[in-house]
Amino acid sequence: MSWTEVQTLGVKAASGAGVPPAQALAFGAMLARHIADEGPQGAVAAALSKPEKIVALAHRVETIVEAASVTARPVDAMEEDAGTRAMLVSWLAALPCKAELDIAGPKVRISLSLSEPSARTRPERLHLDPSLSKQLDVLAAKTYVPDSDASRSGGAGAGLMELD
Amino acid sequence: MPTRLSFLRVLVRRLCTERAAVRRIHWNVSDEGHGQAAYAVDLGGSTYSLVAISNDLPADQRSDRVIATAWDAAFVLFDGIASSDDIARIAIQAPKQEAGRFSPRDLVLSRANKSVRMWDSTVAALRAGEQPDPQMICDIGYLMRTTAVYGNGKFGIADRTLVADRPGLEGPFAAEMLTVYLIRHFTLDLVQHVGGGTLDPNLARHIGIGNATGLGMAPFLVNHPVLLHNWMQARETALARVLARETMTEAQATRLRMLAMRAQHHLADWIVPAEDHNRILRQLEEDWALFAHHFDAVHAERSFAALWNAAAGESDTLQELLAALLIEVCPEDVDDLAQDMGDRFGPLIVPFADTEALKSAIEAKWGWALAHDYEDADQCRRFWYVSEAKLEPRLGDRFAEPGAELETPLDIARRVAQLYADLPTAALPVSEFTAQHPDHAHAINRVALLNRYSYAEIHDNLIAATCRPIDMLRCKLSFFGATKFDPKSDLWTRITLAQGAPLGDELRPEMDDWWLPAMER
Repeated sequence: MSWTEVQTLGVKAASGAGVPPAQALAFGAMLARHIADEGPQGAVAAALSKPEKIVALAHRVETIVEAASVTARPVDAMEEDAGTRAMLVSWLAALPCKAELDIAGPKVRISLSLSEPSARTRPERLHLDPSLSKQLDVLAAKTYVPDSDASRSGGAGAGLMELD
Repeated sequence: MPTRLSFLRVLVRRLCTERAAVRRIHWNVSDEGHGQAAYAVDLGGSTYSLVAISNDLPADQRSDRVIATAWDAAFVLFDGIASSDDIARIAIQAPKQEAGRFSPRDLVLSRANKSVRMWDSTVAALRAGEQPDPQMICDIGYLMRTTAVYGNGKFGIADRTLVADRPGLEGPFAAEMLTVYLIRHFTLDLVQHVGGGTLDPNLARHIGIGNATGLGMAPFLVNHPVLLHNWMQARETALARVLARETMTEAQATRLRMLAMRAQHHLADWIVPAEDHNRILRQLEEDWALFAHHFDAVHAERSFAALWNAAAGESDTLQELLAALLIEVCPEDVDDLAQDMGDRFGPLIVPFADTEALKSAIEAKWGWALAHDYEDADQCRRFWYVSEAKLEPRLGDRFAEPGAELETPLDIARRVAQLYADLPTAALPVSEFTAQHPDHAHAINRVALLNRYSYAEIHDNLIAATCRPIDMLRCKLSFFGATKFDPKSDLWTRITLAQGAPLGDELRPEMDDWWLPAMER
């Protein structure tokens, strides 16, 4: 899959799981970076089944960014769970700004340059595990409104349709 | 209105500067016009191919809607020179469009339907050894109309970041614009093949490529705030630079008068069936004619600002047209701005110090959002959503239709008003506030964005009963370089691209003069 496909699918899946919009957007960016960096896909699957974990992770990143905005010193984060730690790292690595991450056991030392863009590159293709891919598809489908006659009249192209 | 900063114009200007030439590299097309073709063009040191697949489409399947499943023609812009294997693969996948799968060497996917009236008439004229009716070319403007132009990773095609550093493709939608330019070339080639005759280049140049476009463009603008900011800033900077000139040269004055007259002719040629939109156009045509004496009075030593100030009491529509004209006359002030219209990094925003700083930012820049009463049914009547039918973006009535709980979060104004109402009276770190109110994080991000990117937000309540998506569509399409807007409802419009643009064998610097083209009189 392309990066954009994975990111978009991640946003929709998080929304379908009940995650609020800002956190779902950030989750989608995290997901693509996580897959690109070969992070554990099982951790993502587990988080999607407990959306409050995604909201909590988003909030954790927010506090790190907030701390980085008032100090030039690195910010430390401790995370014992390896899967959650990997997602935290992917989340920070997916930020638009430059993020230097030093991981030592459960500790992640984070240096953010909020006004400097990230220079991370993106691969051509991303490979999702079939089980995660299916879970993402199922959750994403929950964001789509069923088709109906009334619905079709609210789409572009509805109404006047003379052919020229 | 399109300007010389519009993306198609920037792309064609680059092709002209490089004296590019479109080459036909494959042609396997029947006498009826069905089969496969491929074209190659060099741009910025790379070669790109358009692979075109032309089908026999029953008339009852010809539809502009996203939910259509068959088209007259399907296209892929390919990275490099397409081999016979590439063409064979694309011939299988491209007609499937959204149901196909594509590779990272496929940069853009598109499809188009014929304007049957224009197509049949042109073929008949060529077969009779004649030229098509210029009036019909004026009225319709294209032989085929694209109904989707997909880029940036959709259905497996290449992500934009993979080619965004390529010379010539750095600008927004540059690969998509190259695709539509080459599709226009293909349609001209195809009609001459089927008609068995050669089009007069002066007529052929006035045949552009159509497009039918709808609601998807509105969410795009909301979801790409940094891009929107960069587009608007480039345009405003261009205008400011021109107005800052103390005088104009005699050559500029002469060009201004010539282009003002061309614009008058363009308006006269621009007639649409929708009565309300046609009324606006006819008023603009009349107002522009009345304003013309200001152009007659321009001369060296007079400033552009004086001309601009003369339009202060005129309609917004006339001022938009005048701004585009002034920008057109001063390329040396304008053209370098095109390189800053993309967004390579995403938003670089700084968090608020606390909720007081957040509140101050809302009070300073979001008065337009706070002014509405969102409890009033008409201020929140509409909801944007994605249909399960081919994921078509749609707009519903939340009080009459199901699905509002699945609303796409384009209700930015309402969200910021709700955030403002919930902010505490005493200052808190913003993260403490969002710990209690995670739903407000989206609005907080938008406020932070607007703090840094002044043009990032559409100042309108997009869920109000009075919201007109067509206005957002027109805004985005103008940046693409669209002309001859032909709105079919408040939800969608047809447009023309590349009308007047140099043909595939005419790409030379002196040919970059097709702002608001008019048929020769």
